[in-house]
Amino acid sequence: MAFFRFIGFSGVRAWQGFWRNAMMSLATTATVILMLVLLAGLFVVISGLSSGLAFIESKVAVTARLVDDLSDAERNSVIAEIKALAGVKTVTYVSPEMAMERLKQVYRDRGQELDLGGAPIKLYSSIEINLTETKYSDSVGSALSSYKEVAQITTKQADLDKLLGVINVIRTVGVIAIVLVGLTVLFMIINTIRIAVYARAGEIEIMRLVGASDGFIRWPFILEGLLCGLIGALVAIGLLAIVWDPIQPVMFSVFQMPVAVGARFLATLSGLLLAVGLGVGALGSWISVRSYLAA
Amino acid sequence: MTSTLLRTSAAPAEVITAERVISMVDAGVTYPNGKVALNDVNVDIPAGDFIFLVGASGAGKTTFIRLLIRDVLPTTGHVMVAGSDLSRMRRRDVPKLRRRIGIVFQDFRLLPNKSVFENVAFALEVTGASRGEIRERVPQLLNLVGLQDHQSHLPTQLSGGEQQRTAIARALVHDPALLIADEPTGNLDPVTSWEIIQLLIHINAMGTTVLMATHNQEIVNAMRRRVLALENGNLVRDESGAAYEREY
Repeated sequence: MAFFRFIGFSGVRAWQGFWRNAMMSLATTATVILMLVLLAGLFVVISGLSSGLAFIESKVAVTARLVDDLSDAERNSVIAEIKALAGVKTVTYVSPEMAMERLKQVYRDRGQELDLGGAPIKLYSSIEINLTETKYSDSVGSALSSYKEVAQITTKQADLDKLLGVINVIRTVGVIAIVLVGLTVLFMIINTIRIAVYARAGEIEIMRLVGASDGFIRWPFILEGLLCGLIGALVAIGLLAIVWDPIQPVMFSVFQMPVAVGARFLATLSGLLLAVGLGVGALGSWISVRSYLAA
Repeated sequence: MTSTLLRTSAAPAEVITAERVISMVDAGVTYPNGKVALNDVNVDIPAGDFIFLVGASGAGKTTFIRLLIRDVLPTTGHVMVAGSDLSRMRRRDVPKLRRRIGIVFQDFRLLPNKSVFENVAFALEVTGASRGEIRERVPQLLNLVGLQDHQSHLPTQLSGGEQQRTAIARALVHDPALLIADEPTGNLDPVTSWEIIQLLIHINAMGTTVLMATHNQEIVNAMRRRVLALENGNLVRDESGAAYEREY
């Protein structure tokens, strides 16, 4: 019962404190929102790129363009030999007709029609080799190069490396940006709580004199900081929910992957925003209370 | 055997806690800047006493009071208040000590945006009292100080005397063993000052030890109570039934 009275007392005073200096509190909350929106953006982009990466990795593949005019027997014997190589999961033959059909599909996906103007274009035939693991990419590639039936080899390793590079750059830049914004937010919260402490200096002195415990003196301020974080997080989550559906097509076209893997992704992201919002609120006010309410 | 040991070891401590509200032994305070604010003060104040603490500004009265509420620690000697050795007290026990001491100041220190009732209730609220306790206790205290009809007034709507009564009611919320009044009449006219003194005498008569720091010679001379006089941090006089100035 005494605990609930303590929570009630601290909560009410935190709420009063928040609105007593509304301008400062709202400015701080706005910086929390800014930080969390940035964080959400980074999280979405990194997740999108990572799922793209996973998609490519799941298709770790080597494509071997075959020389023209191979007989079926020659082709089948090459395929059989390649199947026997270490690390090879599946081998798929793509005929020139199938390649043409795929090309047309790519155009259709973009809402266009492939128009060759009636030119007799014949695409290459190729075999697509899926690997059990990325590490076999090099050995399979070099084994393939010894075949005279193979005209050209492309591996996905290059794509993978490029994507990893992009992810690393975005992650680094994003993390630096978020740390800088996070420090600003922390500074804002420390200041807001410091002002709140000063505004209540008279009350704090009386609380000390009449024997209020440290908890009664400090927790209202910590809750006030948490309130900035909480409101900021809720607004950021609300914004995210509003823009979520409209950005899906954009995400799909950028990452070639739907980022929203069901409602779980959104729930995870909301949880992250809430945790970071509350965390920075608590940390800021705790630092402030420690520095300005030293016993 | 056990009972004998218990009696011999526990008895002296109990005597101290039961009979002396304040006990200072060679207590001294030297501030970090080197200023000696109190020097080797030895004083025992039994429960139920009414004491005046006198001395010029800077004589050490404020430090004496700060020592009692453990706002400063003695740099030498020992200070016992309400049965606790303040030097050995853990920080988290300080609030408990302060609930056993009520304190009022010359400038009242009321919260301007709270009513009389709320100012008194605040002291209970911040120490975790229930609404029921607050509803019961605050009217009792306001009756005691004669402000039952001013409950909803803000401090700005009160006279100086009424503000000081509110502060006294607040100081008494935890039924303290010791009431410290630091120049309680300093901002009041003579008539109102006497009213406040009457109230303090009444509170003292109910069993609370009262320590009043004052410059008011007229009051000290008329009351003839025990007087502690400080001069440059030294306790220069500790005399019962005394006047403001030395009379011999």
